[in-house]
Amino acid sequence: MGTGLATRLTIMLLAPALTLAPASPAAARQRSAQKTGFTLPAGSGRTILLIRPSIRVGARSTGGMFEPNGDWTDQARRNIETALAAQQQALGNRVIPAPIADGDAARLVADYAALFAAVSQSVIRYQFFAGDRLPTKKRATQAGRFDWTLGPGIARLPGARDADYALFLSTSDAYGSTGRKLLQIVAMLGPGIPLSAGEHAGYAGLVDLRTGDLLWLNADRAMGGDLRTPEGAARRVQQLLADFPGSTPAPR
Amino acid sequence: MTVTALALALLAATAPAPPPYAGAYQPVGVDEIGAWAEADEDERQLALSPLLIRDAALDAYVRRALCDTVGAARCAGVRVYVLRVPLFNASMAANGTMRVFSGLLLRARSEAELGAVLGHEFGHFERRHTLAQFRAQRTGSDLLGWGAVLAAMVPDADLRRRFATLGRSVYGALYRFSRDQEREADRLGIGYLNASRLRPQAAAQLWHSAIAEAGASAVARGAHRPRLDRIGFYASHPPEAERAATLDALALPDATDRDDGADRHADALAPWLPLFLDDQIKLNDFGASAYLIAACAARGWTAALWRARGDLYRARGNPHDLVNAARFYAQATALDPSLAAAQRGLGLALVRTGRLAEGQAALRRYLALDPAAGDATMIAALIAAPEDR
Repeated sequence: MGTGLATRLTIMLLAPALTLAPASPAAARQRSAQKTGFTLPAGSGRTILLIRPSIRVGARSTGGMFEPNGDWTDQARRNIETALAAQQQALGNRVIPAPIADGDAARLVADYAALFAAVSQSVIRYQFFAGDRLPTKKRATQAGRFDWTLGPGIARLPGARDADYALFLSTSDAYGSTGRKLLQIVAMLGPGIPLSAGEHAGYAGLVDLRTGDLLWLNADRAMGGDLRTPEGAARRVQQLLADFPGSTPAPR
Repeated sequence: MTVTALALALLAATAPAPPPYAGAYQPVGVDEIGAWAEADEDERQLALSPLLIRDAALDAYVRRALCDTVGAARCAGVRVYVLRVPLFNASMAANGTMRVFSGLLLRARSEAELGAVLGHEFGHFERRHTLAQFRAQRTGSDLLGWGAVLAAMVPDADLRRRFATLGRSVYGALYRFSRDQEREADRLGIGYLNASRLRPQAAAQLWHSAIAEAGASAVARGAHRPRLDRIGFYASHPPEAERAATLDALALPDATDRDDGADRHADALAPWLPLFLDDQIKLNDFGASAYLIAACAARGWTAALWRARGDLYRARGNPHDLVNAARFYAQATALDPSLAAAQRGLGLALVRTGRLAEGQAALRRYLALDPAAGDATMIAALIAAPEDR
């Protein structure tokens, strides 16, 4: 009888492959885009519905496994919420948290959060990385058009009637453990293998609550700011919302 | 069978009684608190999953099977989620989230058989196996990380071979670790059953059925029966034959006349049986599905079971299958003429075997029983087709 242990062992099998995967160069790709033809003038005073952010903070073990850390994740969630509230001014819009839903409404929110995650992963993979194009979107992406949607059904989201846009945020952080950093140094000094110590990825997206169109997406696999501190979280939120349509340019 | 013999030799006559239970356990230390935080987040998603079966009666029955097995005190630490997944499995997360697959409910023949699996899963929770597994994997991958870097420093073929050997030993040790956890969970599970009011012999019966099902599946595919008595290098669980023999040996001998709750199980499953059988048939595993339908029919053939058997044969769709399918659907409609799905299957099977008029008559009965069916327009077109088409 299974216990889910088999799945974890499969992940385990991949870990050594990750162990020696060289640190990937974060540059050489687009990391932010805006729907073609969409403009949001600064200070247009729209209402933005913030969907519960997906936040995961932990450490990376010497061998490359993710070690979830409940305390850090809690701190990060609190710090990000504070930082978002503080940044409202810069956005030139009003950000309200999505109402807590139950039953079918909650399932709808979960469905759309999952759909947003899937669509934004497609954008990151097929639009932000030149050379990896979806056959059906080849011409549009080559012409630089940004045209993705979650469908008009999103208007049924709880709270959608009182807002113009939905903001989705996701961060995933793994801080290198002491062992991992030691291994990184030895691997660099010895055989000259570049190892990554940790992972600091995040993305943010703005969706039109009438049409479901993806208006803006910002994704980065190497972000700054330590979410465990209020200052770091402020910096991360600033990076996540950099180039936010209609925002006042903030010093980076 | 030497493995089984060895396992039997090592074990006492019956499983030890469950240890005293500490009550509401809370995680301790960074690793465990982290594991619980992840499991909590997963549980939020799980509660909203489209796979979740939201049926208070079925939930109550599965929960009862767990509580009857492990006792009320232990049961209180667990949330049970029944998921529509047609696989023989259940799982337990670090924080007490128990996932029960519909495929397990379909395979268990009694409350005691279901309780045997749920007790095993609870054993993982009580012994905090997820945490121990995580730590073992971390230690193993740390070792391999250092091994890989150090081996890469010396350009020596012999050293690389030794590193490959190290990798195999680490993996071998981790899979063995996992199998040993499963063995411990099996011992705890049968211990709960022995201490309960349910019949502990049911635990081994479930594994004998699993072995028979795997055999039936292989035979229908023309393959050799799988060897379920040997330990594979990458096996996360002990082989089925070993588990059946161990559970047989550990079950309390003078508890054979206890109630195993077969009627309770059948009653609780009845409203869901057609759907669970549908899901199983769609796995396209003819031998296993035929075995499971026959196993359910051991309590007597019902219209729902004849209908499922008809679907199974009609899905394979060889000419002889369609003739048999029509026969099975006819049994279903004889038992329950108001079963729309059986009239539909009967009509389609007859039409495809050239008995158009009889088939159309059955399809007319189907539409009369279910005028708003999703495929009503398509079926109406079949009925309208001239007989000499």
